[in-house]
Amino acid sequence: MLEIKNLHVKIAEEDKPILKGIDLVVPKGEVHAIMGPNGSGKSTLAYVLAGRDDYEVTDGDILWNGESILEMAPDERAASGVFLAFQYPMEIPGVAGLTFLRTAANAVRRKRGKEELTTPEFMKLVKQKAGELNIDVDMLKRPVNVGFSGGEKKRSEILQMALLEPTLCVLDETDSGLDIDALKVVSDGVNALRSPERAMVVITHYQRLLNHIVPDKVHVLAHGRIQRSGGKELALELEKSGYAEFGEKAA
Amino acid sequence: MTVAVMKTKAEQSFAEGFSEVQEKLPGSTAVRAIREEAAQRFAELGLPHRRIEEWKYTDLRNQVKDALPPRSGEKVAMTIADVIVALGPLAHVDAHRVVFVNGSHRPELSSPGGLAGVNIQSLASALETAEGGNAAIAGIASQHSDAVMALNTAYMSDGAVVQVEAGAALDKPLMLVHIRAGKAPCFAAVRNVIEVGAKASARIVEAFVSLPGAAGDGQINTVTQVNVGEEAVVTHVKVAADAGEGVTHLSNWMSRIAKSAEYRGFQLTQGVNLARNQIRIDFDGEDAKLDLSGVFLGRGSDHIDTTLVVDHAVPSCESRELFKGVLDGNARGIFQGKIIVQQAAQKTDGKQMSQALLLSENAEFDSKPELEIFADDVVCGHGATCAELDKDLMFYCQSRGIPAEIAKVLLIESFIGEAVDQIDDEAIGEAVMAFARGWLS
Repeated sequence: MLEIKNLHVKIAEEDKPILKGIDLVVPKGEVHAIMGPNGSGKSTLAYVLAGRDDYEVTDGDILWNGESILEMAPDERAASGVFLAFQYPMEIPGVAGLTFLRTAANAVRRKRGKEELTTPEFMKLVKQKAGELNIDVDMLKRPVNVGFSGGEKKRSEILQMALLEPTLCVLDETDSGLDIDALKVVSDGVNALRSPERAMVVITHYQRLLNHIVPDKVHVLAHGRIQRSGGKELALELEKSGYAEFGEKAA
Repeated sequence: MTVAVMKTKAEQSFAEGFSEVQEKLPGSTAVRAIREEAAQRFAELGLPHRRIEEWKYTDLRNQVKDALPPRSGEKVAMTIADVIVALGPLAHVDAHRVVFVNGSHRPELSSPGGLAGVNIQSLASALETAEGGNAAIAGIASQHSDAVMALNTAYMSDGAVVQVEAGAALDKPLMLVHIRAGKAPCFAAVRNVIEVGAKASARIVEAFVSLPGAAGDGQINTVTQVNVGEEAVVTHVKVAADAGEGVTHLSNWMSRIAKSAEYRGFQLTQGVNLARNQIRIDFDGEDAKLDLSGVFLGRGSDHIDTTLVVDHAVPSCESRELFKGVLDGNARGIFQGKIIVQQAAQKTDGKQMSQALLLSENAEFDSKPELEIFADDVVCGHGATCAELDKDLMFYCQSRGIPAEIAKVLLIESFIGEAVDQIDDEAIGEAVMAFARGWLS
């Protein structure tokens, strides 16, 4: 279970607060959507969960399975089950996709006390998972995400997620830059990972992703706080009314 | 009018040392005369210092404190197993080895027999004969303006004289192995002379390594002359990967590329406290191609200088340079790249890039690209970058569970990998990468 308690966050080298007291509980097995206008702090929340050090937590706590993760380095969080699918996945020139995936998968397995995957085991697993996401394994011989289209990058994120077997998945604007077909493939990939053992936080500006990944709860984040929470119908309501009631002009 | 300058201790020791060992150095009477002339020239010039423009970042007069004695006459007991240990990852490259220890050829440690299509002789024996001596010292007179090269001419004790027959295609690389060994610190001056005939193809590796337990200090002065014949294809790799704390490595490559030939050069420098890698390339014929790249890795007080001059004297040649450095601690990296495009050299295509990754606040990288273009129909460009490890990439890797230390190595490997990839021989490329990986861990 993810518990976010009175979380206050600012950019490390500035004084301006971004998150001003977030309270949120996401039990295992549930998918929670976080919606909100641009600049409301959605991506900041995603980065803080993953442990990016550009941000400073000034108050509050984040508990994952009852333990605070604030003091943990990003790789330790990943080992404990946290995974962030980036809004803008990074390109790593010179590092082959397969090398990257295998290094990551085995680093996480080591920390979880599991045997490392042998090359044949790893290749079998990658081929299977990549196939489910319509990713050509040959693409993974190229440097990580270099020369990938927007849709390919997002699918590559979901492939990483599938291989690392996280228990807390945070998806930051996974729908941005996707056409309708790619959105379907990515959503199917995410839905395949839904399980009673997994909690998911889906961050999005638009409701359309939530037609594919149907959330158990929807929260509206604006001005650094959760302003409203409700069922999946809240997303539809926002689609009609926009974020105007939260002090934002329609996009 | 010249102003008398006080000789430094090192300059005096090099001068006195020469008169002590000169009788023992190999060579015919003609060679002896040339040595003396060079020693005289060195005495006049002294060690290069920062007021000489090309040496402004590397002040040898200040940085070389003393001359170590040459010990080419003393034989350090070694076995082939020792050679393999000293070679490290390069031992895995299936090559024909010619081994030198502290500046002396050691046939018993070298690969037996010959290599088809090549004539290999030791420089020491070549210098004794009129013909060999002439080949080995051809062009030396014109090199006397450089004090480091003059020092080499005066002291050169051995090296390889290699002639690849026209049309020959060497089935394995030729590896010239220079090992520093023994408890006594020493100075070694070696010279390799490589002649590759027309339409021949060859891969040549120079390794400057040390045997575990060798003295921490050492001085190497090496000169390699390469003549690439018409339509020949030559890969030339130098690996200077020492383990001493106080090793000075002064190196000169002088390569001439004939018409329609292709020359690919690569240099790795690591574990060397003070390095000056000078490279001089002359295009002798049209439609020739040059690909020059390198990686330098420094930490502590390491100082690694790459200074190259590429002279496009003829039309329609292509030159590429890519040098990458990783600098930690107080290390300093220098890259000076001068590309000359003479008036006749129309249709020249030249590109140069130098990049450094600084791992600490005190590391420094100085880059000085110089383009001297006298022709009007050319494409030439250069660039230089200097950066820290990308924080966003580090976070991305870590968020995938990769610990910071491994992520760092992964990103550094990818950074230098681009230059190592220029080596068009997989086994040699892998060995170079393995050296770098060893340095990183």
